[in-house]
Amino acid sequence: MSAPLQSRQQILKRIRAATLDCAQDPAMRAEAYAALPRTYTCHGQLSAEDRLQLMIQRLREYDAEVVETTPAALPSTIKAQLAASGRHCFVAPEGLPVEWLAEGFDWKIDRNLATAEIEQTEGVVTAASCGIADSGTIVLHHSADEGRRVLSLLPDWHLIILRASQVVETLPEYFAHCQQPPVLITWISGPSATADIEMTRIKGVHGPRFLQVILVRDESLTAKNDEEMNPDQRPAETGSTKVR
Amino acid sequence: MSQTASSHAELDPCKALPFPMAVLPVLRNPLLRKNVAHAIDVIQAKRGKLVAEKTDWQELRAAASAIRAHALENLGAYLEQFEERCTVAGGTVHWAADADEARRIILDLLRQEKASEVIKIKTMTSAEIQLNPFLEANGVSAFETDLAEIILQLGEQEPSHIVVPALHVNRSQVREIFARRMGLKNLSDDPKELTNAARTYLRQKFLSIPTAISGANFLIAETGSVAVVESEGNGRMCLTLPRTMITLAGIEKVLPRFQDLEVMLQLLARSATGERMNPYTSLWTGVTAGDGPQSFHVVLLDNGRSSILAKPRQRQTLKCIRCAACMNACPVYRQTGGHAYGSVYPGPIGAILTPQLMRMKYARSLPYASSLCGACYEVCPVKINIPEVLLELRAQVVNQERREGDRLFDPMYMGLRIANLLFSRAWLFHAAQRLGRIGLGLFTRKDGWIHSLPSIGAKWTQTRDLRGLPDESFHEWWAKRPQPDEEAL
Repeated sequence: MSAPLQSRQQILKRIRAATLDCAQDPAMRAEAYAALPRTYTCHGQLSAEDRLQLMIQRLREYDAEVVETTPAALPSTIKAQLAASGRHCFVAPEGLPVEWLAEGFDWKIDRNLATAEIEQTEGVVTAASCGIADSGTIVLHHSADEGRRVLSLLPDWHLIILRASQVVETLPEYFAHCQQPPVLITWISGPSATADIEMTRIKGVHGPRFLQVILVRDESLTAKNDEEMNPDQRPAETGSTKVR
Repeated sequence: MSQTASSHAELDPCKALPFPMAVLPVLRNPLLRKNVAHAIDVIQAKRGKLVAEKTDWQELRAAASAIRAHALENLGAYLEQFEERCTVAGGTVHWAADADEARRIILDLLRQEKASEVIKIKTMTSAEIQLNPFLEANGVSAFETDLAEIILQLGEQEPSHIVVPALHVNRSQVREIFARRMGLKNLSDDPKELTNAARTYLRQKFLSIPTAISGANFLIAETGSVAVVESEGNGRMCLTLPRTMITLAGIEKVLPRFQDLEVMLQLLARSATGERMNPYTSLWTGVTAGDGPQSFHVVLLDNGRSSILAKPRQRQTLKCIRCAACMNACPVYRQTGGHAYGSVYPGPIGAILTPQLMRMKYARSLPYASSLCGACYEVCPVKINIPEVLLELRAQVVNQERREGDRLFDPMYMGLRIANLLFSRAWLFHAAQRLGRIGLGLFTRKDGWIHSLPSIGAKWTQTRDLRGLPDESFHEWWAKRPQPDEEAL
């Protein structure tokens, strides 16, 4: 038996010996797991509108810029935001809807772009999988319209298109949606930051220094406005989430 | 000339001074104490505010505690499940029984990659196994990428906190380190400018070094995924850009299911930095074609953890999710900072974790580095009863020490043996009282107090006065007292 295998066996043997008093067989373990106390808040209490307002407020507290728009006005809003950024060269995931690629800018579409090429761009536009209002968190599952992880990392300016129907109030509501855990996830709460020097929060270290969010007030929300939200009947997030 | 805030403490528990001696340089360093107190006050205020707004905080703590305890009770099964799922997803899982084996596994992987340089995400576990000096000695330069870790690495200092490792360094000291080591003469001490200097310093390293080392905040048994919680994006850089990724994780880091993160992520950032959520949390599963490192290794480290697991009352130590709330709340840590603990794990959690990882051979002064006030238990998001473990470890230290030959004439143990004798026989006790009254009477002043004693008695009177013994003991008074008077009743 080789040395690495020996260590594996040795460690597992020690663990088994150490947990003789408590380790359970698979059936009992599943039962014990299911019985763990979960009395924390799972479902939010806010109305749809309040939930969106909370999301916007939290994002702004993180120093992210937020603008609201309608589905019809989305392409022009994107164009206006790109122009207002004063930047010209943007990178986009391959699955980004073509109508989002505003004219008059230099677009690089990610078909396996080299890192150096992504590093050259000034900004990135992506979709998102979910927004969590309670903590102002935006979740990327890195599907076709959210792009590879490196895409939303190297450019200094990140524009996220978040649909209002994707916004949940609490973190457990997000997890309730992930029936199949995605293989890649990035939870983003504001632009890159540090507080390592005297606990002063400084925006922008290695990730994008500027986080811009367009919140699209899509129709499913208006229809459901102020109804009691039942998480099981909510529309799924992006359909193309990578799952194994 | 600015006074240096570093005492450059040795963080190897095998070599560290006992806590009461190690704190002395810190207590004489007002700048260091000011830096630590300032940082702690800021974090505590932020944490307090955000915890107060969370109406289900106690329910989240209860859930987190139960999930972590369940994971530990079934650690073998969950680790095997993690290994299986991670392997299916394209990762390779290695097992390291101790620090030495973990270092060798990592070095072998780096040699296979022909790596002479490696970028690192902050990992306390790699500090625990003293990975950087080992790599350096074997011709591999390790570059830390977390801002605080860069400050420490360039300033040749040791971490003093597990979440904000450079909290003992203030902005002008950071400026001095960066100006000297990055050759930036005109750098100001504005944190923004300092942060930018770090960004520029690291950018090329991120883009060019093809191998990275990380720690792990959580391993998910259900999916074989690994989660890393961070703020700056240096983690994302290391997780995304290199060809090869090596994750070093303690065996206790495993969570049964993906969904358990809904509890942990709500507690961790609030407890650690007083934020509703840290800027970036990344989760990945093995290798994903076309996205990120195409070669991924996890090194599971035991290094004393399984021996902690074997003791039911101490097992809870391993529930820790490394948020550092306990050290931020600790009145001892606030005065001493982290270096005095002589370990990469300082504060209350360090006081229980370090001696146990050392199998009670070293760091035996640490269980005493606490007033047992219980603030650590109150803030702990996974409800580790640190005072309970501290007491348990103190009992073990005493049991060990009193059997040691060289402690036979130790004044404390001698005193306790004598006390044991006296207290178990009434006539000896009374005789001792009478003798004590005569003996101590020589030192008792007119005001009834003893202000100074010779020899080992001076250890008491150096810092406090001692009441002289009364002329009559309670026993004597009781025996002599007038018999109860019927009329008085």
